[in-house]
Amino acid sequence: MGKSARHLRPLAALLGAAFALSTTACGGATDASTAAEAVDISGSISGQTINYWSMWKDGEPQQKVLAAAIVDFEKETGATVSVQWQGRSNTEKLVPALNTNNVPDLVDGTFAKLAPVIGETGQASPLTSVYSYEVDGKAVGSLIPEKFTSNGVFKGEDGQPWMVPYSISSDGIWFDAAKHPELKAKPPATWDDFIEVLDKLKAGGAAPIAADGDIAGYNSTWFVTALLRLKGAGSFKALIEDKSGEGWDDPAVLEAARKVEALVKGGYLNSGYNASKFPSQQQLWANGDASLILNGSWTPTETGSYAAPGFEYSSFQFPAMGDKPASARVDFIGFAVPAKSKNQAPAQRLAAFMLASKYQNALGTEAKVLPVRPDAPVDPAVESVKAAIDAAPATHLQNDGVTFPGFMEKVFFPKDDELFLGKTSANEFIGKMKTAQIQYWKDNS
Amino acid sequence: MTLHLTEPRTDGTPAQSAESRKPVPRTSRRGSRPGGSSIDVQRKKLLIPFVGPAFVLYTVLFIVPALGAVWISLHKWAGSGPMKFVGLDNYGRIFRDQLFLSSFGNTLLLLFVVGTAIFVLAFALTLVLRDMAGKKIARNVIFFPHLINALVFGVLAGFIFNPGGMVNSLLAPLGVTDPPKWLAQDNIFPLIMVTLVCTTTGYFTTILMAGVDRIPPYYYEDCALAGASAFQRLRYVILPLTWDVFGTCAVLWTISSVKIFEIVWVFGGSSGAGVPPTQSWTAAVYTYVNAFSGQSTPAYGAATASAVLSLALISVLVVLLRRAMRRDAVEF
Repeated sequence: MGKSARHLRPLAALLGAAFALSTTACGGATDASTAAEAVDISGSISGQTINYWSMWKDGEPQQKVLAAAIVDFEKETGATVSVQWQGRSNTEKLVPALNTNNVPDLVDGTFAKLAPVIGETGQASPLTSVYSYEVDGKAVGSLIPEKFTSNGVFKGEDGQPWMVPYSISSDGIWFDAAKHPELKAKPPATWDDFIEVLDKLKAGGAAPIAADGDIAGYNSTWFVTALLRLKGAGSFKALIEDKSGEGWDDPAVLEAARKVEALVKGGYLNSGYNASKFPSQQQLWANGDASLILNGSWTPTETGSYAAPGFEYSSFQFPAMGDKPASARVDFIGFAVPAKSKNQAPAQRLAAFMLASKYQNALGTEAKVLPVRPDAPVDPAVESVKAAIDAAPATHLQNDGVTFPGFMEKVFFPKDDELFLGKTSANEFIGKMKTAQIQYWKDNS
Repeated sequence: MTLHLTEPRTDGTPAQSAESRKPVPRTSRRGSRPGGSSIDVQRKKLLIPFVGPAFVLYTVLFIVPALGAVWISLHKWAGSGPMKFVGLDNYGRIFRDQLFLSSFGNTLLLLFVVGTAIFVLAFALTLVLRDMAGKKIARNVIFFPHLINALVFGVLAGFIFNPGGMVNSLLAPLGVTDPPKWLAQDNIFPLIMVTLVCTTTGYFTTILMAGVDRIPPYYYEDCALAGASAFQRLRYVILPLTWDVFGTCAVLWTISSVKIFEIVWVFGGSSGAGVPPTQSWTAAVYTYVNAFSGQSTPAYGAATASAVLSLALISVLVVLLRRAMRRDAVEF
């Protein structure tokens, strides 16, 4: 290699030049975020332009409603909205963009995806002004049910809300009401009632519950919801936050794991649930080969194209346990405004605009999702879910809002999968979780 | 790693080792004289305009981000917002993480077990295909799976191996009433390995065949006259004369096997709707989940630390592999 040293010298010079070039290109990228103040958004925004990165793709039902709203918004305010219909990966694209000065003015996504990326990192503008802005003659804050916001879910470190939801999703235990009118007439209210229903269905020959066991997020709903039923909303997060891991010794936690174990051992889960690939089990359910499935409020739209003829969607809530009031799962889809956006007023105004009844109604009846406003009508297929949410005294997020880095994917999901797929017992699960959680907090604090 | 690919034959002469053992007048071109010939001077002048643009691009797009990754790996960072310097903590944590070790173990399984299977099959196919009638068609057929996006195999796996899928439907008439749980979490990785062997063998067979086709026919005639068996032909003619091609293929496989990601992602984890079961994670999947799982706060520090570690360990492997495979190229 000694011979080529002379060739290396010019190369070294080039290397230096390239470094200089690239470091200037990225200069200032890691500026710390500045604590933003709420801005006045009531003035005229005519002639202003915003960039909106949407979680919807062109042609999706929700995209059509948003696109129609944007046309009206531009007409009404004189502002221009430049939209990129990016799809669900918009939050992944947002992360690198937040390190530059070229950020979108408005993004939307699920709370679960926006919170880790923009909410908890202090990169979002406070949207207090949106909550007090009047739409249809009422402040936006009063259009969103108080139980959605009372636990401070949208509040950032500064105590101000950083997200404005326009739509929600939930879950339930779904069934075909045409085939099982008795479940619609009298849904099982308690866990014992539920097991009774399962035994009856099992005696009929068909497997009672279908489950796509390859989706850890679906599997975990059973344990997490059982725990929330026993200990109330927020108890799963409290259990995970406990650095000593002692929370796992609570008999109620073991009880929740035992419920899951009972489903597995009782043979209530459709054979093959532990060795199939999504969406084969939910297809099987929609074809009528299994009676029940625990899944999201999106189930009717997701399975509609292959459901058996005459399928009538209905659902009941995860059965109650003990005397705790049962909370309903409510996950949010909504807007956030990056703190670095230079067009705060028009961006925040569009976020408020989507709360108008015209678009909320369209989300319910045309896109067939659950609008955030409780006074908006919904499609018959999700009426049962809406009724449950309206009646619930409190709400909880998917996985109770646990977003600690890698915890769900690396610690909880693998062990919960083993429990749900019948590889470990409830006792073993508790023991493994306790050890793993102690180790996790040792490594991550 | 890529440097190794560009290292051989910069001047179109046979490999350096053969050359340096018996210097011939031609080698003066390489600049053994102190001042260099006029050709040498010309070459040096052309170095910057020819190599420069590529070099600058390569540095800006690959080397700088790689060094950036090393820098990030020393921090605790959610991808945006404040960075907290934690030194080598991320590395220590990864080495203690059973999940990283098993993911990396899977990567090594792909590299060595799948790699061995691929090359044994590829050489076997090479022997068969050389004399086969319609070998061009056969070659295209076995190359074809490589053109298909791994996503397709991930989706097909469902059709084929689901409890009510094709395999079980075919087994049922044969009296198999309790077939294996093909897609159970523990079986997904072996299935991925088999799929990779099936899809990648054709690719390397094609490259090896190109090397084999260069071998002049009179060597085979010699073999026939000497009464050599097919295996002897492989051992004494084909292998030595395609050794450099094989070496390049081995490096190519090493590099690509470390990056295998999408097939794992779609095979388990419901075609991307969730995270695949941890039993089937590779180092690349581990990295991705840490940074982009979308279900928890991104941990860029841990993600880049695992990426840097994989890069380092694989670089060592490539160097060792090159060393183990070093032979004097046979000229023909």
